Amino acid sequence: MAVEIEFISSDMLGKKTEKEKMSYILERISQNKILVVEESLSYDEETKLIEETMKRVNDKFPGIEVSTLREKTEGGLRERLIKMLGGSTGGLTIIGPSKLVKKIKKEPQQISLLAGER
Amino acid sequence: MPFRKLLRWFGRIFGRKKLIRLGLYGPPNAGKTTLANKISMDWTGEPVGKVSEIPHETREVQKKERVVVHSGNKKIIMNLLDMPGIATKIDYEDFMTYGMSAEEAQQRAKEATKGVIEAIKWLDNVDTALVIMDSTEDPYTQVNITIIGNLEARNIPVILVANKIDLKKSKPQQIREAFPQHPVVEISALTGKNINNLYDTIAKHSR
Repeated sequence: MAVEIEFISSDMLGKKTEKEKMSYILERISQNKILVVEESLSYDEETKLIEETMKRVNDKFPGIEVSTLREKTEGGLRERLIKMLGGSTGGLTIIGPSKLVKKIKKEPQQISLLAGER
Repeated sequence: MPFRKLLRWFGRIFGRKKLIRLGLYGPPNAGKTTLANKISMDWTGEPVGKVSEIPHETREVQKKERVVVHSGNKKIIMNLLDMPGIATKIDYEDFMTYGMSAEEAQQRAKEATKGVIEAIKWLDNVDTALVIMDSTEDPYTQVNITIIGNLEARNIPVILVANKIDLKKSKPQQIREAFPQHPVVEISALTGKNINNLYDTIAKHSR
């Protein structure tokens, strides 16, 4: 069974509003793709993503599995400057349809994902 | 958000705030309603809601208003808010494994999705949160991280409840290790074990 994984740069999502970002993510997930996004979603974005997911849940789409590795929180000058300019200092988010993603195991610095047809 | 902080500050300075809205958050089947019932039964003699082994039994916010709790010489008056469990997926087929018909399961799933949205919306309307986790499960899940992160971002005091310590597989230490920044109270909502520690911690940390 083939699994399609898309890697998405933070630049691509950075140009979108929050609503556009959620729609973009969920549209691709509903096409049975696993997304690896080059940024960590904020806590607020995570709840928005859950809310939008719940609005779309139906018999064929029961929801998502998601896991985020947080960006660096060290308050170095470089990180602060990047953030002041609206940039991201790292982080990673993996999102996939729950029908496809059997399990996501998260540890502070590592995510492992098991995918396959049920 | 700044206005909310200002109100809290005034409340603390002038001691006007006597009633706290205590939100019970967590994933489905962590024991939120069992705990809400335990607290309510201890202090009012009445339960808050129905408990079930089937996930998403609580699909609307259940409230018990003006519950007066005593801890030492402190008295706390709280509105108890038992939230629907927060999840990233709700598969109606899971409910069918509990003997529901497809139609019943689909209806329950639909109501459960609304419950999740409602629980998230209520994040802006609690003063203190208990995040209840099943201590036999891995606590380091995205749902727990998202709930706690959102509460922290809103500057809402968080008390972690390591529930189900009456079970052999219980590992409350995992919760302490996963979220060392918050107080953890180990309890069994079912048997009432250590429940007084929870009341003391609420009295100490709530605002």
